[in-house]
Amino acid sequence: MAKKTIITVAATGAWPKKENNPNVPMTPHEIAEDVYDCWKAGAAVAHLHMRDDEGNGTMSADKFRETVQLLHGMHPDCDIVLNLTTSGDLHATDDTRQAHLKELRPEMGSYDCGSMNWLNSSLFLNPPKFLEELGRNMQEWNVKPEIEVFDPGMIANAAYYLKKGVLKAPLHFQMCMGCANGIPGSMKNLVFMKETMEALCPGSTWSCFGVGHCAMEMLYGAVAMGGHIRVGMEDNVMYAKGQLAESNRQFVERAVRVIREFGGEPATPDEAREILGLSR
Amino acid sequence: MSWGPCFFYYHCPECGKKYKYASDMIPVFTDMFGFCPECRIMGVFEKDGARTLDDADYAEAE
Repeated sequence: MAKKTIITVAATGAWPKKENNPNVPMTPHEIAEDVYDCWKAGAAVAHLHMRDDEGNGTMSADKFRETVQLLHGMHPDCDIVLNLTTSGDLHATDDTRQAHLKELRPEMGSYDCGSMNWLNSSLFLNPPKFLEELGRNMQEWNVKPEIEVFDPGMIANAAYYLKKGVLKAPLHFQMCMGCANGIPGSMKNLVFMKETMEALCPGSTWSCFGVGHCAMEMLYGAVAMGGHIRVGMEDNVMYAKGQLAESNRQFVERAVRVIREFGGEPATPDEAREILGLSR
Repeated sequence: MSWGPCFFYYHCPECGKKYKYASDMIPVFTDMFGFCPECRIMGVFEKDGARTLDDADYAEAE
């Protein structure tokens, strides 16, 4: 049987604007339509950020609610797994980073397993108190953490929280490769991240993405090494050198082609649920 | 959360060309990082960061 690979689409993120690519979805309606389009193309998971009315990243529960309601209301056939970010605004509070999870109870939510410098200008803070509270709340709310790791130390941090009961096995990692101040995106580093994960958190599943020049290398690498993949304009607004992405669907369609060329098949949302151990 | 690639933005003091280098290409360009792709002289650094609103005005050095 062909191996199933989960495609996650990260449709908008908190950063790129229409000036960077006019096809970045920004409003709840645009995001909901984009997610539906990507689901039809083969995405099994949608990682969602929200934008305020000026296009800046926001953790507004209203925006998350509106988007989810639009998606389910306009497209009741869409069974894509929703993965809502907890890190969509550097100035959000611990409460606003979790309020939408508590209310909407998505199947997944992001869990950034450590703090780091944000670019070279600010801080991306995920202090111990927040991570302990978020991990326990996600268990209570039955929201599976997607553990975003930007360097190997964050994998070690996940192992600590697993041992402490803040996180519950099996874990699912999203390896964020090539981000400024994170681990550079190379095959050597991806192998190291995978081996570190297997040593510290055996039995975990993993996915990865690469920003910028390493995007394709990370995509091919993940498929070759049995991981899952994330694509979309949160990470790359360019489809190829000098070529703006026409849509998130374009990225998903390429991922489907790569998976099939390798002899695999993109996982359906229900297959993704089985792989990730989602209980609903 | 990611924020896409980070760039260093420059203009050339000689020809005025506006261009950028992706920070993850520092190991590739080494000492040539920041040089004008046309004139091969060091550019005037303007700013750095994830894609800025005027990002498209700057040609990416490859």
